Amino acid sequence: MISIRQQLTRNLLGAVILLLVAGIGALYFAAREAATDQFDDAMSAKALAVSTLTFRTNEGVRLDFTDRFLRGFDDQKPRDFFQLWDETGREIARSESLPAGQALPRNFGKPERPAKWNFTLPNGRPGRALGFVFKPKSAEPRRPASAAPDLQLVVASDRDDLDDTLWSLLGSCCGWGALLIGATLWIIPRVLRRGLKPLGDLGEQSAQIHADSLATRFEVAQLPEELQPIARQLNELLGRLEQSFERERRFSADLAHELRTPLAELRTIAECALKWPETRDPSVDDDTLAIARQMEQLVAHILALARGEQGQLAVRLEPITLAPFVETVWRRFAERAQSRGLHVTLKINPVEAVADSALLTSILGNLCENAVDYAAPGGDLELTVSREADEVVIVVANTTHELRADDVPRLFDRFWRKEAARSGGLHLGLGLALSRNFAQAMHGSLTAELADERKIAFALRVPARVAPTLLGSTAPLDVSASA
Amino acid sequence: MRVLIVEDSLRLQKTLATALRRSSYAVDVAGDGEEGLWCAESNNYDLIILDIMLPKRDGLSVLAELRRKGNDVHILLLTARDTVTDRVTGLRAGADDYLVKPFDLEELLARVETLCRRAYGTKQTRLRIADLEVDTLARTVRRGPQVLDLTAREYLLLEYLAHRRGHIVSRTEIEEHIYDGQVDPMSNVVDSAICSLRKKIATQGSAPLIHTKRGLGYVFEEVAVAPAAP
Repeated sequence: MISIRQQLTRNLLGAVILLLVAGIGALYFAAREAATDQFDDAMSAKALAVSTLTFRTNEGVRLDFTDRFLRGFDDQKPRDFFQLWDETGREIARSESLPAGQALPRNFGKPERPAKWNFTLPNGRPGRALGFVFKPKSAEPRRPASAAPDLQLVVASDRDDLDDTLWSLLGSCCGWGALLIGATLWIIPRVLRRGLKPLGDLGEQSAQIHADSLATRFEVAQLPEELQPIARQLNELLGRLEQSFERERRFSADLAHELRTPLAELRTIAECALKWPETRDPSVDDDTLAIARQMEQLVAHILALARGEQGQLAVRLEPITLAPFVETVWRRFAERAQSRGLHVTLKINPVEAVADSALLTSILGNLCENAVDYAAPGGDLELTVSREADEVVIVVANTTHELRADDVPRLFDRFWRKEAARSGGLHLGLGLALSRNFAQAMHGSLTAELADERKIAFALRVPARVAPTLLGSTAPLDVSASA
Repeated sequence: MRVLIVEDSLRLQKTLATALRRSSYAVDVAGDGEEGLWCAESNNYDLIILDIMLPKRDGLSVLAELRRKGNDVHILLLTARDTVTDRVTGLRAGADDYLVKPFDLEELLARVETLCRRAYGTKQTRLRIADLEVDTLARTVRRGPQVLDLTAREYLLLEYLAHRRGHIVSRTEIEEHIYDGQVDPMSNVVDSAICSLRKKIATQGSAPLIHTKRGLGYVFEEVAVAPAAP
């Protein structure tokens, strides 16, 4: 498994160590160059001294230089050497430090660019030499120096001190380099661990989230800027997950409740009849039948709902003239509305919709039944059919005193009722969920809106026109919904 | 024993009430949380069977409100909610027992009986005064070797008196525990029931057990007969 921290640590350590090695190496070579240059400069100065004090006379060449003048050239503690030749290669002079019979290697450049090289000194120690050809000054001022033949000079020095310095420089560089690499190895993982801690924490916190802890939220404000969008998205996702889990949990609990209550009724009725057979009440048979019907209706609704959610609803779309259609559906509820003293207003414009007549009947029946049953006694009930652009809008609205704004999003939840309790089995709490499914199956929508917490309006939108391919696509559906 | 059933399913309410009345309990019913709370506060029940999902006010809130007001009545939660969390929540809210729907009627009756017995601080199923024995399990009464033939109401009255033996029991208390809301509280049902019960439990040569305390009520106890003066 790839770990960002390990990968970063590895890459950063590699890069920093490489840079350190390169930097220290460059520093060493620069220092070495500078030390060698300094050594060469000192040797050049000695060579210059020898060449400056060499004169050409009528008798030949005169060297005003004595080894005492520069102490390194004497034979007391021989560290510097020189040897001077004329243009034919005949030796003219040599330092006292250079034993007789031994010669310095001959290699020459010009005075401004002398030849330089390393070699082993006659005494067996490491050395460095510098050689050039020069014209000695004339001892007689009337005679120009340019006419005089060239002389050849080689000056050599013991390189031991330079080598010591260079070795100690190398030692220092390696020592400091190792120390810096050690410090890097210690610091970088810690800095990264500290720097990536919020990321690790976020990961750990996410790993601890499971189905029972979906209420967890990340503290976005306390996270680094880069992680905030991730945490924000995670929080939103968790919110949606929590809602859907909660809805599913509520659905299961509600379904269990819906089944358990009639089962408890059936069981108690049966047990009472068995326990006290002599005092049997004939009305319990009606109850038993009612319970069976209620359970049957529940099963039919849940099946329809499941089919709708899986997109298995059989839908046959056809043109429907809404005026007679809506009036036929409403007729079933007119009497009940009257008995509850509702003020009913029907505004049905002559429009045509393309819908499945069975599904539309079911949705309208459900909306009308809810409106009639839940409208405040003596309140208003409005049923409006109109056309908006390519859609037909059927609005069923009624006055209500019970609903609040936060109830509206839950109206379409399965088994949701304003009262958590279920009484009488008249409304199962599945009607609106089913109706919305049916509306969607007909390429329409069903929405609810609460105005001033006094009037709830359900708007069903179905297409007024539809592409011909959608017509008569499947077999009709035999299902009816009630709340 | 007087029991209140708070249940929104009318059919279950009816069947439960029937079953409990046939088992010699005085039963009141309420269909929603508010009515249930009102009944529980205005009467002295031995037990309340309370559904959780109720219209107007849910069962847990009724329970919490009763406990908040110091009402110690025994409460049996009867609900379709079956998770451990639901049960723990119910019991922690102050319920004495919890039964999940659908339930076994016999189990419900046994639990109701246990809770009612506990209301009088006893675990005995046989209550004895002198030679009279009330078997609360079999719901039979014996005096000596003889089994007495009592009506359900008479048995209920005797069982209540036996539970409260040695204490003065007022007419109101008897009304509250023996008669449900269907009986007119202004009638003298208590006096006539006591009179009838006295006759039924009296056997030849036995000492009277139900004594009238004028202006206070009745005491059910065995009164030691003072030894005759030498």
